[in-house]
Amino acid sequence: MEEDEFFGEKTFQHYCAEFIKHSQQIGDGWEWRTSKEALELPLDDSEVTEAAAATEVIKYEYHVLYSCSYQVPVLYFRASFLDGRPLSLKDIWEGVHECYKMRLQQGPWDTITQQEHPILGQPFFVLHPCKTNEFMTPVLKNSRKINRNVNYITSWLSIVGPVVGLNLPLSYARAASQNE
Amino acid sequence: MRQEDISEIWFEHEGTPLKWHYPIGLLFDLLASSSALPWNITVHFKGFPEKDLLHCPSKDTIEAHFMSCVKEADALKHKSQVINEMQKKDHKQLWMGLHNDRFDQFWAINRKLMEYPAEESGFRYIPFRIYQTTTERPFIQKLFRPVATDGQLHTLGDLLKEVCPSVIAPEDGERKNQVMIHGIEPMLETPLQWLSEHLSYPDNFLHISIIPQPTD
Repeated sequence: MEEDEFFGEKTFQHYCAEFIKHSQQIGDGWEWRTSKEALELPLDDSEVTEAAAATEVIKYEYHVLYSCSYQVPVLYFRASFLDGRPLSLKDIWEGVHECYKMRLQQGPWDTITQQEHPILGQPFFVLHPCKTNEFMTPVLKNSRKINRNVNYITSWLSIVGPVVGLNLPLSYARAASQNE
Repeated sequence: MRQEDISEIWFEHEGTPLKWHYPIGLLFDLLASSSALPWNITVHFKGFPEKDLLHCPSKDTIEAHFMSCVKEADALKHKSQVINEMQKKDHKQLWMGLHNDRFDQFWAINRKLMEYPAEESGFRYIPFRIYQTTTERPFIQKLFRPVATDGQLHTLGDLLKEVCPSVIAPEDGERKNQVMIHGIEPMLETPLQWLSEHLSYPDNFLHISIIPQPTD
């Protein structure tokens, strides 16, 4: 492991393990999967969403992966109707709350794009990871100042998740601050 | 075909949908290197394989994807310092140089992405991806330094030994695989730093194909 790594793979694994522990306690469906050399956290999360004309059930699938290029976690997700039809980028975009849209449109690096999942090889939507350090650094600095335990994954996911429909229960934060 | 029956175009070779976001040379090396040129592929106007291919609604999508790869490569090589110091017009020039096949226009910007500090022997990490059709995973990508702690330059062979050791067969045995970049097999003793500077694709990545030895 590199000494100068901001957020190394081992650290990622450690925070995911803590995250999973709490997930198992509240039964909200996150799993830890390793495939040879890859680490990820997929979640199957069914949600009911209203489409323009009719009420449709949309199934969302979220995966948390580690990017060794940017040394941060990355959120991959896809969504489909119950009959298996995938949602398009346009559909996903329509589901993003107005307050996030403006921020996302400011640059191609901050936006949602379709990318190939690096382990499954299938199309997923991704929030570009290159700005993650920018918004996580003040969060981490601050919690160190007030001597508060923070789970990087929990904090990060609570910031990026809501943009794409993933809301973490508050109990995750309480669990994080209780951990040594 | 009737206009209303036509939907998104996609390409296929022997049953395999072709990923437009991969360089064409990589696709050829990986899937059809033993085929005679010109490479015959099938064009489809219906039945877009949603589970296999990314959508490509416009040229902007291709530009965005290309720039995303360039940015990721620079994150590995220079902690994104070089790409972030460039202006938007430099990014545009890189894309337009590629798009319009203007070598000098492209390299005026790309040469900056190939530089490294005088006190170093190379990039921070080498941007590479190793592809094999025999695995589930689309590619292997890891952190790998071009220089060892003792100052020796890492070679292509060193990379393979570290990242996919099964590819390099025992020395006395026959090599089961070809290690191909741009349709050629560089010597395994080639320094990785040199390969990264001179044999990278326009997106600044070394796309390496591992294919079984041809049986002719």
